[in-house]
Amino acid sequence: MRLYKKEGATVQIISFPNEKVRKGDYLAIEDSKREESLIVQVIDMEYANIPGILEELLRNCNGDSSIEASIEGEDVDPFEVAAHVRYIQDARLLICKIRASTHKGKLIPTGFALPARSYARIRNISVSELLPCPSDKNGYPMRLGEIAEKKHLDVDVRALDGALNIITGKKGTGKSHIAKLLTLSLISHGAPVVILDLNGEYVRLGQNTKGEPNEFYSKIHVLTPKQNFKITLEQMRIRVLLNILVNVLHLPGTSAREFRRIWHFLEQKDALTIEELGEAIKNWRCNQHVRDALFSRYYTLLNSGLFTDNPAQATSLEDSLDRVRSGGAIVLNLQNESTTNRHILVEYVLGKLVELLTTWRLRAIFLFAEEAHLYLRETYWDDIVTRMRHFGVFTTFITNQPDTIRENIYRQVDNLFVLNFTNEHDLDPISRAARVDACTVKSIVRDLLPHHCLVLGKVVNDFPIIVKIRNLNVQMMGQTRLFFLNKDLQVNSIKR
Amino acid sequence: MNAQFPIATTLKYNFPSPKETLQLHQLPKHFIELSLQSLKQTKHQQILPTKKTTTQFSTHQRPQPPIPTTELLTLTPNPTTTNIVAIDVSSVKLGETKTGILLGVRGAVVWKNPDHYRYLRLGPFPFHITRHIENRIRRLYHQNHAASYLQENSIPQAYFIQSRLTTLLERWIQSSIAHTTHNSIILWDGSLTAGTTETSVSTMQELLATARSNRNIILAFSKMTRLSLQGFRLTDLIKHTPPCLLRIKEYTDCIGPLRLMGNVYVAKFTKGSFAFRMDADKQLPSVRVVDAVQNLLGNDLILQSYPETLRLAHIFSTFTAIEVLGLQRCIIQKSNLKVVTKLNMHRLLFGRFGKGPEG
Repeated sequence: MRLYKKEGATVQIISFPNEKVRKGDYLAIEDSKREESLIVQVIDMEYANIPGILEELLRNCNGDSSIEASIEGEDVDPFEVAAHVRYIQDARLLICKIRASTHKGKLIPTGFALPARSYARIRNISVSELLPCPSDKNGYPMRLGEIAEKKHLDVDVRALDGALNIITGKKGTGKSHIAKLLTLSLISHGAPVVILDLNGEYVRLGQNTKGEPNEFYSKIHVLTPKQNFKITLEQMRIRVLLNILVNVLHLPGTSAREFRRIWHFLEQKDALTIEELGEAIKNWRCNQHVRDALFSRYYTLLNSGLFTDNPAQATSLEDSLDRVRSGGAIVLNLQNESTTNRHILVEYVLGKLVELLTTWRLRAIFLFAEEAHLYLRETYWDDIVTRMRHFGVFTTFITNQPDTIRENIYRQVDNLFVLNFTNEHDLDPISRAARVDACTVKSIVRDLLPHHCLVLGKVVNDFPIIVKIRNLNVQMMGQTRLFFLNKDLQVNSIKR
Repeated sequence: MNAQFPIATTLKYNFPSPKETLQLHQLPKHFIELSLQSLKQTKHQQILPTKKTTTQFSTHQRPQPPIPTTELLTLTPNPTTTNIVAIDVSSVKLGETKTGILLGVRGAVVWKNPDHYRYLRLGPFPFHITRHIENRIRRLYHQNHAASYLQENSIPQAYFIQSRLTTLLERWIQSSIAHTTHNSIILWDGSLTAGTTETSVSTMQELLATARSNRNIILAFSKMTRLSLQGFRLTDLIKHTPPCLLRIKEYTDCIGPLRLMGNVYVAKFTKGSFAFRMDADKQLPSVRVVDAVQNLLGNDLILQSYPETLRLAHIFSTFTAIEVLGLQRCIIQKSNLKVVTKLNMHRLLFGRFGKGPEG
């Protein structure tokens, strides 16, 4: 390999056919005299612009035209020059981005070095040279998967601590798989996790691929609304309920004020039940329009099936969180819930989490939110990434629609797990992430193989790395139900 | 023979076999030996590679005296099956060393059979031309072509050596084809002018005689000519409806040491502005030449008045820029040369105003 050009943070390197380089590989451009080197990453590969290549291809092509197709011949090449011509013809131009530099063997996170073009030596470097491998003694290792050199990539799970993460990729590329991997790694290191499970993909996280309980079985607690997850009005604080009424059910301000009075009235009476609430609205002296507005919201809450007046049927989220305090996950199964119910539930859970965190009943929580735009109100996004982060809610967003996450969230993201995207429009929002340049994302992500992920951010010390995500011995659930795959089963079941 | 390069010199070749009575079949072996010997001289030297990779040497561009009268011959394509063979050779300067220059030479033969084209490419052969090798080239050259007026002890310039190497290979290929081909039209690039530094009269006579004896007709096409008549460039004279030939008659055979061994024609085979000088064997009657050209028109694809077979021969022999790089790399690797960049004195002295040639 030979150093060809440097423009800004981009370095171009000529690579010859016998040199094995792939997209995402790291190279060290070493200047031995000055004891410094430049660490670059290959983000794209092109054919080298060699003079005369067009003439060469035209002359040797066996095209479809009648003349070209009918030319056959023989070359007497005693000096085997053709091999040299092919060698030059197949030369590639590696487009690389500077990731760091070294001076006297010390890694510096900026690319200040400019190695001599005439004698600089270029060699492949392994990821292990860039990322110190965490061990149980010096950190909290998490095995992400396999990297290019058939080696495993172990990262420190602490990189997720206090971080905002995004997992994104087009449909069917394995986003949920990464989310599960992160979840289980966090659990295994004793971290509490809350998962907002939109499609019921995480409910069998405690089972292996055969459906038998796995090592995480006792640590996964699935809360299915209306089944094992109901709440009393008393559990729900006025602030949370007003948030639901105003933000989810769009209760006008005047009505909200009346509702607050009703709530305090019931509270003084020690009668905070759903039934008493109905009675109180009915008998409350107020404008008829306000009453109607309150009644319509009341019936929505009543019909949601999420509320109960029986304390024995109610679930204490505090108790559930206590159970995962030393490592475990609460999976809030939103699969069969209406949009309104999803909003109510998420509002309740997040409100409760903030309450517990502000009173230090919880140290911190890792929140996994799949397709959050479907249940998270607009104002919560900023809340989650700024205010709630300070309380200890460390969120991981999982989405196949990167444009549903706002630009300011990308700018604050600490770790980004990007799977394959083909459409450039999808890559535009991701490329705004402050952790990496747009070229890297756009160039590498469109060529990622299935189950291969581009990891960016703190978790990889800001060295973008392509990793093949490892398999997990859990029930994946996330697979799409297919018609033709199950056709035989259908036929059999019909026969029966 | 230098054994350092593992090159099988005989088994891999598939040259058209020349007549055994001639000693010309020795040429490729000598040619390769010479190439190997010359490259041996380059070991561990520095090379100044030539940057203008498209500048290639071509023979047959010598100015000719004007010719007095013309005769128009109209043509009708004759589709009677006739084999057509075209020959072309190219050479290119690859760079300079302290002791000489590096050259690459390649020849190409293209056959046009009724339904398809077939080609044979010979080379490229890399050469390192030093004083020592020049003498060997001269000896080899004179063994094969007794140059008419060049003195043995004269010191040929690099230009002539390049030209001579090119001609050496070209004449050998032409001779081989003339011997092994029968009843064919043989197309050359250039003219039938002899008595030059590269081509002796006897060599040309022998080639034409061999071709005649095998009932072949040699037609030589010049892409450029400086011949003029009545103040007009010869190729501009032809205004008639193509396909046609304009025969230049009553032209003197000798101009100083030069001998025109063929009759000169201006050929215009297709509509458009393209016309070429065409030489045909003087010993052949004009009617045979016309028949041969009509056969050429009926059997080959003619684009822009130029036969496709000859165009392909030119294309296959010409060095592309990437091949020049490949050859340079081949020589650098085999001879362990060190590449250095030649100073551009024009730039050095005059800065941005230095517009002189680089390298």
